[in-house]
Amino acid sequence: MDAYLIAIAIVTGIYVLMALGLNLQYGLTGLINFGHVGFFCVGAYAAAILASRGWPAAATFPIAAAVAVAAAWPLGLVSLRLRDDYFAIVSLGFSEVVRLVATSERWLTNGVQGIAGIPRLFADLSGTTQALAVLALLLVLNGLAILAMRRIVASPFGRMIEAIRDNEEAVRALGKDPARFKIQVLMLGAALAGVSGAVYAHYIGFIAPEQFVPLVTFQIWMAIVMGGVGRVSGALVGSGLLMLFLEGSRFLRDLLPFVSEVEMASVRIGVVGLALILFTLYRPQGLMGDFTRR
Amino acid sequence: MSIDRRQTLAGLAGTLALPLLGRSAFAQGAGTFRIGALNPVTGSGSPYGTGMQKMILAAAEMVNAAGGAGGRMFEVFAEDTQTNPQAAVLAAKKLIEINKVQAILGTWASGVSLAVIPLTNDAGAILMHTSGAPALSVAPSNAKGLGYRFQATNDRFGRAFAEIAQKEGFKRPATMAFNNASGIGNTEGFRKAWEAKGGKVLEAVVYEPNQPSYRAELQKVLAAKPDVIVTGSYLADTTIILREWFQTGDATRWIIPGWAANPDLVKALGPDVTEGLFSVDSISNEEAPSFQMYDAAYRKAVGQPGLSNVYGAMTWDMVVTLALAMEAAGPGADVAAINAKMRDVANPGGTKVYSFAEGKAALKAGKINYEGASSILDFDAAGDVTPDFGVSVISKGKIERRYVTKI
Repeated sequence: MDAYLIAIAIVTGIYVLMALGLNLQYGLTGLINFGHVGFFCVGAYAAAILASRGWPAAATFPIAAAVAVAAAWPLGLVSLRLRDDYFAIVSLGFSEVVRLVATSERWLTNGVQGIAGIPRLFADLSGTTQALAVLALLLVLNGLAILAMRRIVASPFGRMIEAIRDNEEAVRALGKDPARFKIQVLMLGAALAGVSGAVYAHYIGFIAPEQFVPLVTFQIWMAIVMGGVGRVSGALVGSGLLMLFLEGSRFLRDLLPFVSEVEMASVRIGVVGLALILFTLYRPQGLMGDFTRR
Repeated sequence: MSIDRRQTLAGLAGTLALPLLGRSAFAQGAGTFRIGALNPVTGSGSPYGTGMQKMILAAAEMVNAAGGAGGRMFEVFAEDTQTNPQAAVLAAKKLIEINKVQAILGTWASGVSLAVIPLTNDAGAILMHTSGAPALSVAPSNAKGLGYRFQATNDRFGRAFAEIAQKEGFKRPATMAFNNASGIGNTEGFRKAWEAKGGKVLEAVVYEPNQPSYRAELQKVLAAKPDVIVTGSYLADTTIILREWFQTGDATRWIIPGWAANPDLVKALGPDVTEGLFSVDSISNEEAPSFQMYDAAYRKAVGQPGLSNVYGAMTWDMVVTLALAMEAAGPGADVAAINAKMRDVANPGGTKVYSFAEGKAALKAGKINYEGASSILDFDAAGDVTPDFGVSVISKGKIERRYVTKI
C-alpha cells in the first residue's frame, strides 16, 4: 500500500512541477501554451541521454533545465508577434515537432524504441527508502518552485506580467516592452517542465516519443483549470485532483466488477471531462480560485 | 446551485475515503493465488488487449473449475496499461501493493514491460509478457529469472524473414517498416541476419503511421529495384501500401508478417493484388488440442476466431503454464518454488499435455511437457520461447501454409 501511495505522490509531484510552470505562463502572464509537453520531453530526453552515458544526476538536472530553456527561447522569439489563439497553435506545433524529432533522430534518441534502463535516482538505496528519497527530492524541488513563484508574484516583475495578461496594449502604452517579459516567462516555465521531465525519466526508467503526446499538456491544463488559474495552491490542488480521478477509478473497478476494463477506460476520461464542464459552469475560478477578482 | 470550497473539499475527502470502504474486499482469502492481468486495453495495443484480458479470465476460470492449482484457486485482478509505461507503472504498483498479486501476466508493449519488470523483480513476482525487445531477456531486466516471454523476439522474426528470403532465392531485398519499436525491430532484425549471410539490403524505408497514402515511400523503395520487399507493418497500412503498389504494375514480391497478411487483408484487397504474397508467422500451435480449447474459449468470450489474436493465445498459455508450475510445486509453494518449476512443466522431457486438467493428472505420474496454444512453449535459459515460423503463400485468395522454418 505504502509504495503505491508513494508512487502516486511522486507522479503527482512531477505533474505539480509542470503545472507550476504552466501556471506562471498562463495564469500569470496569459500565454496560452499548448506545447508544455515539448519542454517536458526535451528535459526528459536530455536527462536520459546524459544519464545513460554515465553522467551523475546532479549534472543531468541542471542540464535538462538549461536545454529546455534553450528550446523555449527560439519559440519565444518566433511567437512574440502572436497572441492568444495564434500562440496556442504555434506552441502545439512546437511540441509535436519535438516529438517528431525524438522519433526520427535515431542516433541520439534511439527513435521509437526509446531509451531504456535510465539509471534510477538514489540507486544505492532500495525499495521504499529509494522511493521516499525521490519523493523528498520532488518536495524540495516543488518547494523551491513555489517559493520562487511567490517571490515573483510579489515583485515588480510579477506585477508587470500580470499587467501583460490583463491588458498588453496598456503595458505598451506605458513604455514597457512586453516581449522581453514574455520570453522570460516562457523560459522560466520551460525550466520547470524540463526539471520535471528529468525526474520523470529517472523515475520511470524508460522513455519513448509516444509518452510525450499533447494529451500530457492537456492533463496539465485540466489540473490548473480545476485547481484555479493563477494560483499556486491551484496547481497543487488541481494536480492532486487529476491524479485522484485517474487513479481513483482503478479502485472503482474493483468495487464495480461488472464494469469491464474497456468501459472503465472510457469512464475515466469521461469523468474528467464532466468535472471540467462542471467546473467551468459552477466554479469558473477553479477550486482555489482568486475571488478578489470576478 | 453553488458549491463552496468547504463542500467541495468535504466531497473530495469522501471520495478519497472510498477505497478504504472496499478494503474488506481486499483481504487475502485462504487458498487463493492472486494474479494481475495487466493488458493494453486502451492505447496502441487496444486491438489485442481486451482479448488478452478475457483469455486470462477464461483460463483462470478453467483452472479453478478443474479444482485449482496446487490446491489454490486463481483470483484475477485486471488492469489497463493504456499502452503507456507511466500508467502501467502505477497499475503494477497497485496490483502488487494493494491487490497483493504474485504474478503479473500479459504486458504487451516493450516499453511497458521494461518499465514494469523492475517492480515485479523488487516484489519477487513473476512477469509474463509478449514484448519483443531483446533487452528483456538479459540483466538487469531479467536478472532474477522471473521474466518470461511468450512471443518471439523481434530479432527472431528478422532471422526467420532472412531464412525465408534466402530459401526462396531472393537476392535484392529492401525493407519497409512502420515507425514503432516492433515494426523497426522486424526489419532491423532482418537486416542483421541478412548481412550476416553476406547479403545487402538495398533500401530501408521507415514510414509514419496513419497516412492516407504511402506513394512517396513506395517510390523510394521501388527505385532501388528490389526483388523482394520485407515489411514490418500492420494491417491498415499494409492494405494501403499493397493497393498502391499494385497500381504501379511492379512485379516485386512481398514478405509480410502474419498479423498483417491475414484473411482480412485478402478480403480488403481481393485475390489479384494478394496473389503470391508470403505471410510469415510464429506458428500458433494450431493443430494442437490446446489451441482448439483456446479457440473455443476465444470464440465464446470475444466472438471471433482465436487466430485473429495471437496474443490471446499467449495469455491463455501464461495462465495454464503458471497453474501447472504451481501444481508441480505443490500446495502452499512460494513464488520462488513455483518459478523453479516453470521449465519443468513446459520444456521437453515429459509426457506431452495440452490442457491444465490433463497436466494435473499426468503430474501425478511424472514429468510433463505442456504444449501451448501459442507455440510449443519451450523456455530457454533467458525465459524466451523460440517458436517455429510458418511460411504461407497467398494463392487465389487463400492463405496456404507451405513449410515451416526453424531458426
